[in-house]
Amino acid sequence: MQPARSIKRQPALHMFASEYGESTLSEKGSGEFDPSFVVTKIGSRVNRVVVAGLLERIEGRDVANGSVIYQGQLRDPSGINYFSVGDYVSDSVKDLTIQLSARLESGEPILVLMIAKTRLYQTDEGAIYTSLRPEEMCVIDTQRYASWLAKTSQSLMERMSTYLSSLDYDSNVESMAKSDLSEQQVLGLVASRNHYGDVDLEHYRLNVMQALDIAEGRLEAASKPAPQRQLVEETEVKDKEVEATDDIESVILDIITKLDQGDGVEFETILINAEARGFQRSVAEEKLEELSDNGTVHEPAFGWFRLV
Amino acid sequence: MSDDKYESHIKAVLSECPDADTDEVRAAFIKYEEEFYIPPQDALRSIIRRFQSDQAPKSSNMSSQQPRQTKKVALLSELAATDRDVEIEVEVVSHNLREQTIRGEQKQIAFGLIEDNPWEDGATKTRWEYKDWGPNTNITPGSIIRIEGASVNEYQGRMSLNINQGARVAVLREGTRPVTQPGEPIDIADIPKDGYICLVGRVLSSRDDQIHRKDGSGSIDVVRGRIADETGTIGFLSWEPFSHEVGSLIKIDGAQVKTFRDTPELNFGRTTKIESFHDANFANVEKLNSQNMKSISQLTDGARDVETVVQITEWEKRSFTKDGEERHLWSGQIADPTGRCRMSAWQQLPIESTDLPVTVKLTGVRVRAWQGIPDITVDKADQVEILSSAPWDGDIDLENHVVEVGLSDIVNSASRVGIETSGTVVSVREDSGIIMRCVECRRVTRDGECSFSGCVGKVESQQDVRLRLVIDNEDVTASVLINKDAALKLMNTTENKMAKAIENEGQMEYVQSIRDYLLGRNLIVGGRTIIDDQGAMILADHAEISGDDAAMLATEVRAQWGVN
Repeated sequence: MQPARSIKRQPALHMFASEYGESTLSEKGSGEFDPSFVVTKIGSRVNRVVVAGLLERIEGRDVANGSVIYQGQLRDPSGINYFSVGDYVSDSVKDLTIQLSARLESGEPILVLMIAKTRLYQTDEGAIYTSLRPEEMCVIDTQRYASWLAKTSQSLMERMSTYLSSLDYDSNVESMAKSDLSEQQVLGLVASRNHYGDVDLEHYRLNVMQALDIAEGRLEAASKPAPQRQLVEETEVKDKEVEATDDIESVILDIITKLDQGDGVEFETILINAEARGFQRSVAEEKLEELSDNGTVHEPAFGWFRLV
Repeated sequence: MSDDKYESHIKAVLSECPDADTDEVRAAFIKYEEEFYIPPQDALRSIIRRFQSDQAPKSSNMSSQQPRQTKKVALLSELAATDRDVEIEVEVVSHNLREQTIRGEQKQIAFGLIEDNPWEDGATKTRWEYKDWGPNTNITPGSIIRIEGASVNEYQGRMSLNINQGARVAVLREGTRPVTQPGEPIDIADIPKDGYICLVGRVLSSRDDQIHRKDGSGSIDVVRGRIADETGTIGFLSWEPFSHEVGSLIKIDGAQVKTFRDTPELNFGRTTKIESFHDANFANVEKLNSQNMKSISQLTDGARDVETVVQITEWEKRSFTKDGEERHLWSGQIADPTGRCRMSAWQQLPIESTDLPVTVKLTGVRVRAWQGIPDITVDKADQVEILSSAPWDGDIDLENHVVEVGLSDIVNSASRVGIETSGTVVSVREDSGIIMRCVECRRVTRDGECSFSGCVGKVESQQDVRLRLVIDNEDVTASVLINKDAALKLMNTTENKMAKAIENEGQMEYVQSIRDYLLGRNLIVGGRTIIDDQGAMILADHAEISGDDAAMLATEVRAQWGVN
């Protein structure tokens, strides 16, 4: 009773950068031509995505065999997707990449939509990153970006609802087989729940709210460069960190003071707000930890912070 | 902590090492579990080994005292045909049960495929067959298991693994595919494309038939028929005598599902067990027969004993000569509210073209498909009964009726005509735009030549326009071929303008301009579908962009999910 081995095209999911970027689990079938998937925290098994956003960076990098690999990043309201365009892509994608790279140099904001394959890779130090390999892409206008935001919000809400309904069952195939979930959904949900454990969905909801605001034209953010777009080079980041340290401390303390309604403020909320004020997530995260260590803030419950 | 949970494992150790001390064995299990988090089933083998070595005479020569040295391997290829006590970690690919009489005793044994190197993604993996003589209940498809104490079997150059009764199986990762217990009946609607199944159903029809060997060496007596439960019906073919009458309720264990064209069929053979079944609540023949009725959307290639009500909208007689004899065939278009397809009859029906449209009930007909479109074959005129009126709303203009169908339903059903569906454009193929077709066979030419064997070397070609896309609804995908008129309308251009644009920009740039226009947008397409092993293809004679209003979509999302 083997599943059919015929090679079918894998569907593409509309996905925000936050859901995709937080994934650390991948899955590859045993057969030579079996598709590989990235499994997100809420159990979406994704081989291909439809992503869109502001093109923040495209940089060519020479590699050993004399060819050039382009690496870039695409920002949507929830975060950044990293993509790379190597030798293996079609000529048209490569051509467009070079064109876009030139247009970006001139400082023009560009909204891009791409259909891309998913990929997870691990550095020698063991850190896991997500990356995308564009198959086809195009430049879109704000109208189409807004449609993408709305569609992606719908898609994420549906997946979150599927995830939540799966919590009524134990995280194994036998138990979930009793639910209304499809076999494909069960595979992803079981894998994600066993890998990620409990997942907090609140920030995905926040992402949806922001995306919908933009889709409805309530924010100008859609075609404006995001505040942290300068933070490209790592050395630059380091320099900035030193300068910004005091600054970010007061910002974090300010966020906690303003948002605390008695139970403290949730980790993700702090970071999102710090990000919105122009601080890179990793920097804010590090600072928050430092503040927690030196006793400026305390953590009454896991992931919730209050001023001492 | 209760000690009872170790009872069965302690017994297993004691049966291997009769001189071991029960308390010491128990202490060992507790130590493994509490200090090393090794559950008893995984610790079993290590503990047996420890107590076995305790018992071995200390002064003896090891090599003669250990006739069975476990050979622990990572890959199946490391095994030789003579290996007896093998330990390996594998993934179970498939698992089937069958009854076999061994030395006069009915025994259940399991067989299937295993695959080595289960932990590494994308690595080369070898598959072997295995036989499980236990059979162990914890071997399930998709799970990764460690087999200890298996032996290698070589038969006619093919290697396989025997999981003997003394072997142990530890599950390292649970299966990720749901498993149906053998002997547990499944619904007809859930029957897989192939495999062995158990089923309870009522016999709807049964008739003797013969299969003639192709080499002319004689024929085999078989029985053909249909079985139904409340979820559907399925045809069967019995290679053994089948004496259950129409209407009787039976339980069939070990039937093999084979798929003929696109239609699954049950095969009963020597190892299939069929017995009467009693269930006063099971639907009766009349009820089951009424649900045997199919609509055009449900027809699959290779289906037999089909009952349906359709409207004939076109009907004509055709003549052809075979073996010097003139023969006739009647064929035409039929429709019902779910779609349109074709019908052919080998005998004359009492239908004149002036009577059309005529509603008929068809019984016992078969379905063939040509280019994916179902074609109902009527072999005898008495299979057709003319009805005075249609059972559906007579005002529907079936000839031009378009049925809206979700993309998932399109992809997961048979080929259909007269449908409309929608999805996100996720690919624009490089050969979209202007193409050249061979004037003889309409195939696309390459480098000015037709590759079809019938017109090799022909260079005469004709210009045509088409778009080749892929649409997607996050669940399934379908290829879409949009014909000339619809493509020009969708792109809001003319053939000449398109040709000029391609000439100026080049084919690649032109395709990119189609992508700029269509990628990521929702497209409604209408036409007919061809569903086969290659997936789903929609031949569209209509295409339009829809659902682009972001603010409206956003409002819908907020309303549906309460995001404010």
